[in-house]
Amino acid sequence: MKQIFPLTFMTHNDIPHWISHLQKIENVIAPHKNGINSFSFGKVSDPKCVILNYDRTLSSIKKYFLPPKETLFSFSTDGKETTSSKVEPINAIFLGVHNYDLEAVFRLDHNFLSGHAESQYLTRRQGALFIGVSYTPDEWHFSNSVLKDGEPNHSGGFDLFLHEIEDGYLLETLTESGQNLMKGFPLPEFDGDIPKQQSFNAHIDGGFEKVTDVFSRAWDSPVWESYAEKCVGCGTCNLVCPTCFCFNVEDEVDLDLKTGNRIRTQDGCMLRSFSEVAGGEIFRNQKAARMRHRLYRKFKYISQETGESWCVGCGRCSAYCTAGISIVDIVNDLIHDSNREIGA
Amino acid sequence: MMQIFKSIPENMEANLYLPSMGTITQTHNLTKKEKWFEIQMPETHSFSYNPGQFVEVSLFGVGEAPISITSAMKNPGLFEMTIRDVGVLTEKIHALNSGDLIGIRGPFGNGFDLKKFKGKDVLIVAGGIGLVPIRSLIHTILNDRKSYGRLIILYGTKSSQDLLYKSELDQWETHPGIEFQMTVDQPSPDWHGIVGVITTLIPSVTLDLENTVAAIVGPPVMYKFVLLSLLTKGLSDENIYLSLERRMKCGVGKCGHCQINHSLVCQDGPVYHYPELKKLQEALK
Repeated sequence: MKQIFPLTFMTHNDIPHWISHLQKIENVIAPHKNGINSFSFGKVSDPKCVILNYDRTLSSIKKYFLPPKETLFSFSTDGKETTSSKVEPINAIFLGVHNYDLEAVFRLDHNFLSGHAESQYLTRRQGALFIGVSYTPDEWHFSNSVLKDGEPNHSGGFDLFLHEIEDGYLLETLTESGQNLMKGFPLPEFDGDIPKQQSFNAHIDGGFEKVTDVFSRAWDSPVWESYAEKCVGCGTCNLVCPTCFCFNVEDEVDLDLKTGNRIRTQDGCMLRSFSEVAGGEIFRNQKAARMRHRLYRKFKYISQETGESWCVGCGRCSAYCTAGISIVDIVNDLIHDSNREIGA
Repeated sequence: MMQIFKSIPENMEANLYLPSMGTITQTHNLTKKEKWFEIQMPETHSFSYNPGQFVEVSLFGVGEAPISITSAMKNPGLFEMTIRDVGVLTEKIHALNSGDLIGIRGPFGNGFDLKKFKGKDVLIVAGGIGLVPIRSLIHTILNDRKSYGRLIILYGTKSSQDLLYKSELDQWETHPGIEFQMTVDQPSPDWHGIVGVITTLIPSVTLDLENTVAAIVGPPVMYKFVLLSLLTKGLSDENIYLSLERRMKCGVGKCGHCQINHSLVCQDGPVYHYPELKKLQEALK
């Protein structure tokens, strides 16, 4: 993409000052260290605590647009009064977002905007600005295998983007909103090119084109059962996935038994009860069938309509899998299995 | 990835998940497990429906579940449902009576496409509680009887105690416009009718194969056998429609629970044309 704003340069020392500047404009949400080797997005109070050089956060920024638990409305149990919960726009600057997590937000937009547009999601989504940061792929990232622009330094869709270089960051300005964020924080222009992208360690053999091909005939593959044997069915993969959005709806009654809330909570298709209907019938009773459904949702069902992978290659489901299953391994095995079948 | 997010669309519903309050106007116990309800929606709420659609029914503090509409659309805002007591929510709904309020969202789903049935002989195959949703189609046809050819209804239940809408079944048996047959799988001593599963009834029915459209609703286990029976008889895929049960939790295509392969039952179903359904490997397991 042709650059319309000049590249500027920021030192490591500039970063906390710059975050303080951004905080004067809007709340800033950024990655923080959480535990020994874990990161999570949170509202910035001390700019010095922000970590821009991280591998991945446990949860993506999805949690701000689709909270793990939220009240849909409040009620009186006699049904005479119902009140929709007030939802406010997020109005925040998301700083230090990796390319795949913004791609995931665009996919959630699709899910909640197409068909019946949902006011809760769309209201919350208002006023979000995104500042990306490049990253060094670890053993689990594989975004360029599935995304059209999956490189760690791909800045499309962001308002501002930080490219890490040896002694600081190059700041790429991509939108007018991004340019406005930099007013009052002058930086020296950088005369040079954006650094070359870092290469990935994990790959799907043949990329998304091959994935599309294989998922058109992977339904009866023995690969599902071979991975289902290892899977413990805990649903962690659903929980950490930035594009999983399925939810359950339940009522919570207050202690007076007169009022309560209808709430929604995040749900996961890997859990056995997910497809259960009244009377006890479970339509995907086998783990292999649930695993197949999850992967078909990422690689085929929505993808055949949109032409885009609904897996963004963040590697979370692999990195956090309690049984040590890697989604890249599953897909590659499906590919090799289908190659064997057609004698290639 | 194309960015489609801009701002909130103007015509967006304020809260997709907020029910309207209907009033129960009549109730009737059909069996030990099934109770029939007539619901009147408020005049301010535009409520009209097609046969085969469903609503989301709420009791606040207990929960919400998808329930089939069992009536044919006559007066806007008025509809009927028959609910089997299978859990906490349905047990509490069974305790309600005339004058009580009940939360309703919908109607949802596609329902039967009447254009495909008009002018044709209609074969209805209902197993057990499958009679509940398909009764909406039966009544729709009876209300406009001249627009359809023969109306053949085949109905099977486990035992004679499970038979729904008994007084109506009696009327159907003598109705000149209905060819009605029923069977019971586990008969009690006082049962004098046909014994066997629903497919027992199919071989003896004579069909004008070119001009017959079939609608099938029943428990998951029934579909395979009924389909095999009808196809063996020579009915083509093109003339078969089925209505499926899944966990339609939100009704608006968001929560993911009712998904069968790429299809969301609450949006594309619950009524499926058999040639389309054949493409969904998970539909008839």
